[in-house]
Amino acid sequence: MLDQLKPIICEYVEVEPEDITPDSRFIEDLHFNSYDFMSFLGEVEELLEVTVDEQDILELDTVGKAIAYLEALKNA
Amino acid sequence: MKEFQVNGVTLQCYPLTAAQRIHNYSTMHCPYHQLLNIGTGFYIQMETDFSLLKEAIYESYQRFESMRLRFLKDTDDTVYQYLVPFEERDIEYYDFSHWKEEDAHDEMRRWTAVPFKRFHSPMSRIVMISLPDGYNGIYMKVDHMTMDSSSIITFIRDILEIYCAKKYDMAYPKPMQSYIKALEKDLAYEAGSPAQKKDAAFWKAEIEKSEPMYTDFNGMGRLIRQRIENHNPEQRSAKVTSVSPEASISVFQLEKEPSERLMKFCEEKRVPMASLLLMGLRTVLSKFNGNEKDVSIKSCVARRGTLLEKKSGGTRIHFFPLRTIMEPEMTFMDGLRMMQEEQNKIFRHANYDSIAHTFQRNRYWKLTPGASYESISLTYQPMTLKQDADNIPDIPYKTMWYTNGVAAQPLYLTVMHRVEDGGLNFNFEYRKDAVTDYEMEYLYYYLCRVLFRGIENSDRTIGEILDII
Repeated sequence: MLDQLKPIICEYVEVEPEDITPDSRFIEDLHFNSYDFMSFLGEVEELLEVTVDEQDILELDTVGKAIAYLEALKNA
Repeated sequence: MKEFQVNGVTLQCYPLTAAQRIHNYSTMHCPYHQLLNIGTGFYIQMETDFSLLKEAIYESYQRFESMRLRFLKDTDDTVYQYLVPFEERDIEYYDFSHWKEEDAHDEMRRWTAVPFKRFHSPMSRIVMISLPDGYNGIYMKVDHMTMDSSSIITFIRDILEIYCAKKYDMAYPKPMQSYIKALEKDLAYEAGSPAQKKDAAFWKAEIEKSEPMYTDFNGMGRLIRQRIENHNPEQRSAKVTSVSPEASISVFQLEKEPSERLMKFCEEKRVPMASLLLMGLRTVLSKFNGNEKDVSIKSCVARRGTLLEKKSGGTRIHFFPLRTIMEPEMTFMDGLRMMQEEQNKIFRHANYDSIAHTFQRNRYWKLTPGASYESISLTYQPMTLKQDADNIPDIPYKTMWYTNGVAAQPLYLTVMHRVEDGGLNFNFEYRKDAVTDYEMEYLYYYLCRVLFRGIENSDRTIGEILDII
């Protein structure tokens, strides 16, 4: 899924795809702001046809955690 | 998209976006046509090569499509937009260096109050300026249907970077993105997309939850008076519009050190500055309205997530009510988390048409014309001219926002970082019939008290904060 998310992340922030790893933090490392992140999640929801629970959003602070969460949603 | 013949040329014209329709709607209901003018000034304390600056301005016009927008009206009064290929008007120069600085700013305030011709006409005016004490730069007036504050900052930064690249052989700025591409994306969303349907369902559910409560920045007087006039002691909304939209701007400067304390708190607690400001403002409104628990603020969403949205100019702001119901036993920190969650919800559904939402809410709760649940709007503008711009030299700057003299809303607070030192400026744009200078200062004073009592001990309850401020 990392390879699926990389081009979407690059639509939001100026980062090279090879610099995005599961440990990358959305705010501190990739410089997302809250609106970027919500908008990004919306795009990912459409792509994967899942719905992210609003209560869980604040926990998704790294790319790795977001992938694990989205994969669990997709397989549920 | 629709084709029109203008001066014998066939033009591809686009309808207005939801963000533009907000402004178009305001002009239809306000006789003062300067309502949409935004005036700003940016000045540097250094000798300036004005012919080079003029070249940089023309080049930025070329790179920045939304600065070349024009409007036209169809036979059924529908407004459309189109681009002209280049900007050919002369860029004027005014030398105010021998004037008193305040007189020069007054003159530029007067310029800002002059309306644009709305159709088939440029929607911007740029003037190169010399001020006293060796400050040189530009005055810029734009129409809000073509640009918003993020676009203006991006555009001025582009001019400055091009100027520095030409003059000092510094790095040339990266290209801008296409306004038309961003516009087409917005229009595709509005044409019955699944995302739009999802957002419509969200806002419908929000409206139907329960009726909000109006809280005024001047206390309960307005609501009580209207309850008496309407013989309705249960009335929860209040009329906020006025026949006298004369307005002014007051700017309060929070010093660098306390501003940094607020930013440090946000960083440590991982909360956005906008959430902290909203939390501060809602607590003040609660205090001024008998410790009311149910408070709504009109929150402005810039809607610039993707790089396309960030770098394509235009006007993208949508307004939505941010409503929170907080018990006095709740801690400031828990309140902040609630605020952040509510803000995130709005962000996820912010592409929805704000005007449509307002009409739907007004119909559902049977509001009288001009009535609302929000007395104040808030925008936090995190972007500065210097942010991430290593190719702009470290020299003294001065920025100004000039009032156009009228306002549709009673009070509109914009919080932005000063380019000079990163401290926070609180710009209150207010309708003169709704609020006085003194009342504004009072509001700012209480807002600061709440913010600093809240961050010095975020485990304090909201009730405790309401008692000590």
